[in-house]
Amino acid sequence: MIKVTKEVIEVCAQNLLFDLNPGQADLIFEEFNTVLAQIDYLSHIPHVDEVDPMTFPYSEHQKLMREDRPSKPLKAQDAVKNCNSKLGVQVKLPKVVGNKNDQVDE
Amino acid sequence: MTKWMNKTIGELHQLLVEGKVTASELVEDCIQGVLNDSCNSFEATCFEEARKEARKIKEVKEDEYLKGIPYLAKDNYSTKGVETTASSNILNGYVPLFDATVVRKLRQKGMIMVAHTSMDELAMGGTGTTGKRGVTTNPYDHERIVGGSSSGSAAALAQGIAPMSLGSDTGDSVRKPASHAGLVGFKPTWGRISRFGLFPFAPSLDTIAYFTRDVKDSAYLLSALAGHDNNDMSTSYRKKEKYERYVEEKKTLHRIGYFKAVVDAMQDEKIKAAFFDLLEKLRKAGYEVSEYDYPSDLLDALYPTYMIISCAEATSNNANLDGVRFGPAAKDNPQTYREYMKECRTKGFTDLIKRRFVIGSFSLLSANQDEMFSRAQKARRLIVNKMNEFFDSFDYFITPAAFSLPKKICDLSTAWSTNPDFLDNIMTIGNFGGYPSITLPMMKEDGIPVGVNVTGRVFEDGAVLALADEIQTLTGLKNLTAKEVK
Amino acid sequence: MEYEPVIGIEIHVELKTKSKMFSSGPCNFGESPNTQTVPFDLAFPGTMPVVNREAVNFGIKVCSALHMNIARTLYFDRKNYFYPDLPKGYQITQQFHPIGTKGYVEIVSEGEKIRVGVDNAHLEEDTAKQIHLSNISLLNFNRCGTPLIEIVSDPDMRSGDQAMKYVEAIREIVTYLGVSDGKMENGSLRCDINISLRKKGETKFGTKAECKNLNTIQNIKAAVDYEIKRQTEILESGGKVEQETRRYDEALKKTVLMRKKTDAVDYKYFREPNIVPIDLAEDFIQDAIMSMNKLPNQYREELKAIGLGEYEIGELLKDQKFTLYYTECLSLGAKNPTLLWNYLMVDILGYLNKKEIALTDLKFTKEQFVAFINLLAENKINSKQGKEVLLKMLEEGKDPLTVVKEEGFEQISDESYLQSLVDEVLASNNQVVEDWKRGKDHALGYLVGQVMKKSKGKANPARSKEMILAIIGPCGK
Repeated sequence: MIKVTKEVIEVCAQNLLFDLNPGQADLIFEEFNTVLAQIDYLSHIPHVDEVDPMTFPYSEHQKLMREDRPSKPLKAQDAVKNCNSKLGVQVKLPKVVGNKNDQVDE
Repeated sequence: MTKWMNKTIGELHQLLVEGKVTASELVEDCIQGVLNDSCNSFEATCFEEARKEARKIKEVKEDEYLKGIPYLAKDNYSTKGVETTASSNILNGYVPLFDATVVRKLRQKGMIMVAHTSMDELAMGGTGTTGKRGVTTNPYDHERIVGGSSSGSAAALAQGIAPMSLGSDTGDSVRKPASHAGLVGFKPTWGRISRFGLFPFAPSLDTIAYFTRDVKDSAYLLSALAGHDNNDMSTSYRKKEKYERYVEEKKTLHRIGYFKAVVDAMQDEKIKAAFFDLLEKLRKAGYEVSEYDYPSDLLDALYPTYMIISCAEATSNNANLDGVRFGPAAKDNPQTYREYMKECRTKGFTDLIKRRFVIGSFSLLSANQDEMFSRAQKARRLIVNKMNEFFDSFDYFITPAAFSLPKKICDLSTAWSTNPDFLDNIMTIGNFGGYPSITLPMMKEDGIPVGVNVTGRVFEDGAVLALADEIQTLTGLKNLTAKEVK
Repeated sequence: MEYEPVIGIEIHVELKTKSKMFSSGPCNFGESPNTQTVPFDLAFPGTMPVVNREAVNFGIKVCSALHMNIARTLYFDRKNYFYPDLPKGYQITQQFHPIGTKGYVEIVSEGEKIRVGVDNAHLEEDTAKQIHLSNISLLNFNRCGTPLIEIVSDPDMRSGDQAMKYVEAIREIVTYLGVSDGKMENGSLRCDINISLRKKGETKFGTKAECKNLNTIQNIKAAVDYEIKRQTEILESGGKVEQETRRYDEALKKTVLMRKKTDAVDYKYFREPNIVPIDLAEDFIQDAIMSMNKLPNQYREELKAIGLGEYEIGELLKDQKFTLYYTECLSLGAKNPTLLWNYLMVDILGYLNKKEIALTDLKFTKEQFVAFINLLAENKINSKQGKEVLLKMLEEGKDPLTVVKEEGFEQISDESYLQSLVDEVLASNNQVVEDWKRGKDHALGYLVGQVMKKSKGKANPARSKEMILAIIGPCGK
């Protein structure tokens, strides 16, 4: 487990692409005390590590998949209708120079 | 108040069939209700579209139960042409290009959407106070919450503004407010109804759910909404049924169980008395009702398990909210894409949401996942395994849906609970196991309703509805609206 | 000090389905921006992934061709990161249970047969395309969601040539299977190559550099060879190789630094909760495998067995269309594989290249081509005539037999007629026959030439020669 510090909390927020308002990191830090205590509680439930993690509420598998038939696509104007930063029918952003890997280090 | 909208769907249907009222009159009545709302229940309206739909309806046949009936949808149901924001600023101005599957199905059945209701921001809350338009109040007592996250849908129905509203239920987001607002709140089996078009909070728990003021109405709605959807791979291929038959033919199952730990922990004597009174009535009606010793360590695990799983999934589901393809754009001259997205997300989410995202995302980090997210997922399995064991000897789980009156707005805190009461989280079991689960009125305390909740095995939705209808008969609490507002 | 290069390759292959991996958005290329999307591709709230059956079908074929274990239940996971080309903020992939595990590819590098292990193959979705202008970037979501299969090799390769042959082999396989265009130049097949060096004999891996932007097969060899040289020089001068991402610069013919690798990004992988596990029916898997096209290595064996040389096989297999054309001609009864290869891969290919047209644009049928080859194989026309016949076929779409008739090319193989010609020539060339008997071996050519002349070039020269020899006997000494 990574030790929770205010710096770690800030890094988490930056990697989620938002700034925290003043005081919020402290609040989260306090909340973490509770969260970690509860996590510790979970770890002490008898047999908790003898079962597999559960994602789906019950184990009913799917058998069918989608047939490979394309549907009618959106018109370009519609595709960007809700976009508030565009050039023509394309989404416009400040020039992307960085790479997906330049996240803040954890 | 409204003239027609305080009736049940069944009653309105009869009037429509007999030609005593038109769909247009119902829609106008609903619109009046929306305009006179006193609880801050709404986000967006679609009056003109509703009027247009209503005008198209000339006659309603006996077998068209839902046709011509106005309804409301929580603001997280993608609705073509209607601004849909999940009560979050990050989605301001977003007008979807497509209908959620349930919206489409209801339209096909002739139901008419009149407005979108307010909710906790992105459905991540249980109070109805965190949406971008502020606090939604309880029509039975405006100083109290109506509960959330489907707050507006509950408040509106309790005011008699419509006979049905869509909500969504990830922990108890329909079933808890149903209790606080004296309504029927039904969460069918996970995978029974398509979630396509429902803005996700935590998909492994999210369930389409809705409010009515009569159990039979809920059964008819399930018949209309159930079934596999090619847009949602988690929907089941199991045959859908005519769920109203279970109600009409009283096809209930027999064995009802409640948890010893729950009754032991109950503080409110009136609620306790009402609950035992109801159990007694059920026994007299021929049901086998008994106590079950569900392990309390698992009950205490409900809150952290729920919070970790839901917050973790939520960080990922809401990663699409970046202001790039929809939502308000960045305005502060961002120089990089990161600055652009960061500005949108910083302004778009409130503090509470960010706090939840930070904790959720922390629990997913590779160094933490085993001890946090995966551990919670393991606890979930233990909880569900134990509940399935319960269902080996019982057909139903019964519990009060609330253990006190709804909280006063002035007493609220949005902090992560330091000392969670498992009673407040008992209905999350329904989401962990995907069980069909329904809340309906059990009693009134100081004029404010308190509900009872019934949960059954997965895909036994019909049996759950049938027992709920039986209880509705036993309590005589049907079609409640908040007439005498405090 | 001797160093051993260790090379592993990740290859992303775009699958040629009609619709996307998780949505019904159409997969068409070269369309105008943002005209090939459905709401899921833009990550509008409430949209959900639905797995494309054909992409899974293609995936199974690839796994089978790579001798992999094929998963019986499919699971998908989320890889979470923010980037403008990733609308959902996560990519749906198969981190924990890939569709295929533990297989191999056989390659021949510098005369040596090598087996390269394939660790896994997993299905995932492609990202949007960014266009970078002077101070803004534009996003086009047409490609977003296109199915990909990522094939991850074991670190089994040791040279630039091996790396190149491996990618070539994968490219051949996916194109022969018909599951991808496999075009490196337009990005439907992309590779990331990890290269590290270690001392000979060591088992621990050295620090690796990742190499990107390799858009031709030849660049792979060049980039890897350069990188081996670069890292060797660093190590020999006592330096340390840094973990970094480099790209191959075609103009400079070297790899250049893109970025230093900081600690690995935490992708916060977890199971995709919107896709319940999918059980693959056994007959679905078997159907996928049974309907697989023949693979290059199978062709290789077969063509070798009919006597085609290594070089000829290699050239032919470069293009599946020619391989198919060739093998179909064989099954239509073409009698001489070498002749068939020569006319297809030299004459016809040359003609197509010159005219810039495709094999499918040929004006004659395969049956006609086979008839043409057999005219040559049976010595009914000679090679000079053959060229003329083929030209008429190519230019005018004429049937070879018609051309032969019209041009009067048909060789005379009628025994009695030939015999009479031979008799005539021998009778009027006594002196030449005498020369032959005295050991002047050029006499034979002269006699055959006389027969040809008398027949106006139509006599079958080989048969004529045989007949002459039968009469005049062996060349005396």
